[in-house]
This record gives sequence, C-alpha cells and structure tokens, in this order.
Amino acid sequence: MPDHTSNGMQCNEFDLLLSDAMDGVLSGSGLERFQTHAQACKVCGPLLAEAEAGRNWLKGLTEVEPPASLVTNILASTTGVDTQRLRVTARSPQPRVSWWEHMQAVLSESLFEPIWAMVRQPRFAMSFGMAFFALSVGLTVAGVKPTDLRQISLRPSAIRHTYYATQARVVHYYENVRIVYEVESRVREIKRNVAPAEPGPRESRPAKPKDDKNDTTQQPEQKQERNYSQTDNQLILASAPVVPSPSLPLCDLPVVSVTTDRRFV
Amino acid sequence: MEDVQVVAMLVRRCIAGDAAAWEEIVQTYHRRIYNICYRFAGSADDAQDLSQEVFIKMYRTLSSYDHTKGAFVTWVTTITRNLLVDHFRKTKQDRMTDSMDTPASEREDAQPLSEQIPDHSPTPDARARSREVGEVVHVALGKLSPELREAVILRDLQDMDYREIATVLKVPEGTVKSRINRGRAELARLLQRTYRQVM
Repeated sequence: MPDHTSNGMQCNEFDLLLSDAMDGVLSGSGLERFQTHAQACKVCGPLLAEAEAGRNWLKGLTEVEPPASLVTNILASTTGVDTQRLRVTARSPQPRVSWWEHMQAVLSESLFEPIWAMVRQPRFAMSFGMAFFALSVGLTVAGVKPTDLRQISLRPSAIRHTYYATQARVVHYYENVRIVYEVESRVREIKRNVAPAEPGPRESRPAKPKDDKNDTTQQPEQKQERNYSQTDNQLILASAPVVPSPSLPLCDLPVVSVTTDRRFV
Repeated sequence: MEDVQVVAMLVRRCIAGDAAAWEEIVQTYHRRIYNICYRFAGSADDAQDLSQEVFIKMYRTLSSYDHTKGAFVTWVTTITRNLLVDHFRKTKQDRMTDSMDTPASEREDAQPLSEQIPDHSPTPDARARSREVGEVVHVALGKLSPELREAVILRDLQDMDYREIATVLKVPEGTVKSRINRGRAELARLLQRTYRQVM
C-alpha cells in the first residue's frame, strides 16, 4: 500500500482502522477522519468498497453439513470402537473383574485374537479345510473310528498291554506272509520239475540283408532271443564228425553222450 | 462461548480414558472443524480426511492442552490450521494448473465457474444469497493465497475475534486485520473480474 497522507491520515493508518470501521467500533473524530480519507484517497477509497463487498460475499456463505459418517469414522479411527458401542459402554455399569479374568482377557486379545484373525483368512481356511479332509479320509481308510478313540485307556499298564498286543499281531502277520511265500515257491518248483524239457535251439535263420537291421517290425535278432532268466539244465549232445575213416567202419563208431549244466549268462 | 471449566473437565475425563467424554468432544467440534477444512481445502473429500486427521492428532495430544493458556476452541483451531498448512504444502503441485474454470471437485457434473453464474439476476447482492452463487464464492475463496484465506475464514466464517485469530496464526493482531482486509478485497476483485468476463 502506498504511504501517502490525505486529510491528515496516512494510508497505513487507514488500513489499520479499516477493520474497526467495518466492525462499527470506530466512532467520533476517528471515524470522521477515516471517512474523509476514504473519499479523497484514490487507493483507499476503492479498498474500502472492495473489502465491504468481499465481506458481503463471505456472509452469504452458509455452513455446510458434514457427512453423516464423519463422527463414526472419527471415533473408529481414534478409539477404535463405533458410536453405538460407546453409548452402551457408557450407560452400563462396569462389572468387577478379577485379576485372573483380566489376565485371560489380555491374553485372548493380545495372543489368540491375532492368530484367530489369521486363521480366518480365506487362504489359510482353505488349507486347514484340505488338511482336515485328508486326515478324515486317511482315518476312514485306516479303519479308525472316533468311537474307538474314546475307548482308549491311557493307563501305563494298558498302554504296555496295547504295545505287546500290537507287536504280537505284527509278528503273526509276518509269519503268515512268510508261509504263504514259501508255499508259493514250492508250488512253482514242482511245476517246473513236472514240465517237459525244452526243445533244442532252433535253426538259425538265413542271414538277412543289412537293410533289415533297422526294421523293428520284424522278429528281433538272434542275440536278443537269449533268455537271460533261463536257469534250467539243458541237454547238449556231443557228436563226432561224420567223416569216413579208412581204419573204422561207419557203423562201429562209439556214441558218447555228455550232459553238462549250461547256464546262459 | 464455551465454558472453560466444563471443557477442562471434559478433557480431564477424556485423558482418564472416558470414551463418552471423547465422543462428546467429537460431537461438539466436528461441524466447526469440518467447515474450516472444507472452506480451506475446497473439497468435501479432502475436508472429511482432514477432519479425521485433526481429531486423531487431538486425541493423541489432548494431554498437552492447558486451559490456563487459552480456550479449547482456539487450541482445536490451531491444530486444524497447522494441519491445513501441511496439507497445502503437500498438495501445492496439484494446484499449479488450476484455474477459475475448474469444476468443483465434489460434483463431477459441475459446470465451470463462468457457466455457473446466472445472467438474469439483477445485482450481486441478490446473487450472493442464492445457493449457486455460494458455490461460486467458495471456488473464488480457494483462489486466495493461503494466508489471506485462513484469515477471512476464521474471521468471517468462524466469527473468531482478532486476538484468537492472532493466537492461531501466530502473528500480531495488526497483521491479522491487514490480512482480513486484503483477503476480502481480493475476493471481491476476483468475483468482479469473473462477472465482467461473463457479462
């Protein structure tokens, strides 16, 4: 604001008195000097008019209504409880609480509530559900019934008795299985002895052209026909070459039969 | 005017953990704080968030209130003003591109300021009484500098006296008066300029 004097009043002084004049507190000679300056000064006169207009604009503004949820939100964000609960708590008398109950409440709030809140999350709830389902299916398959669990005695003598009974049952089961396998192996041996001797090795096929080597649709090669699991005794006859000799006649040649245990490895 | 002793008792009960006392404080002052925030921030959403922040800060610092140093309403208004200043600094960049034709944020379908001013009203005084013009003045108020805006809001909208405003703004009373005068004059100039553009 320019600082010049008009009718005995400086513009700075006018600025200071402007609020008082607008509030109606200024009176007497002060008000007279103020009004004279406002009429004469080209800066302060319009300032007074604008300030009055501005105040009139602002007086036209009405108070806005806050949202209905504001108080609830404020209370929830400060005390953490809603209004309705607050009112109920304020009206109802506080019952006497023992230190043990207080401790339980503190523990449940600080320890169990967070865990329970975590468990209630959908992802964990789904996992627990699946685990329970798998457990129940497993128990059903194993033949365990909840009614059986109720009859279990936890006395030391009963536990010892259960242990020995279970051990005897396992041994008995093992013995039974062993006998069954032994009988099976005996039967297999008898069958093998009763069965006729296997015919001699077949004649080797004529040599195929090399082109057939990769043809897997045909019979496999001779080498692959070896039965690696064969353990039977196989009869092999030894014979002398049929070549006429001048010293021995053909019909007088001795025939030697040799039996060997041959095992293809 | 608040009864100092009653408010001091309310604050003491609240500090002692009386939730009902705190609710009474919230019920008493939430309207005032919301209006200050709404007029300063310009948006209903911002005003709601800021009001909540004010009460959270109040709740945390309630024990620091000393009734011998001043009225509770002055203390509350000081907290509000400090938070508004912080908010203004944070959102300074967002307002760089604002103009007088920016629609009011709380109404998506709001028309630009120049289109909201009706042509058929004869005088500015008559227009000021209408609700639509109230919106225009609200938008124009947001165009004032924060120093002038807070001064006129506390004086003309919250009816605080100069001494209380000086306490809240931490400036001398003379400065408060000067800011109020300049704020009012600047608001009138803004609105006159807007009307001249339309007419």
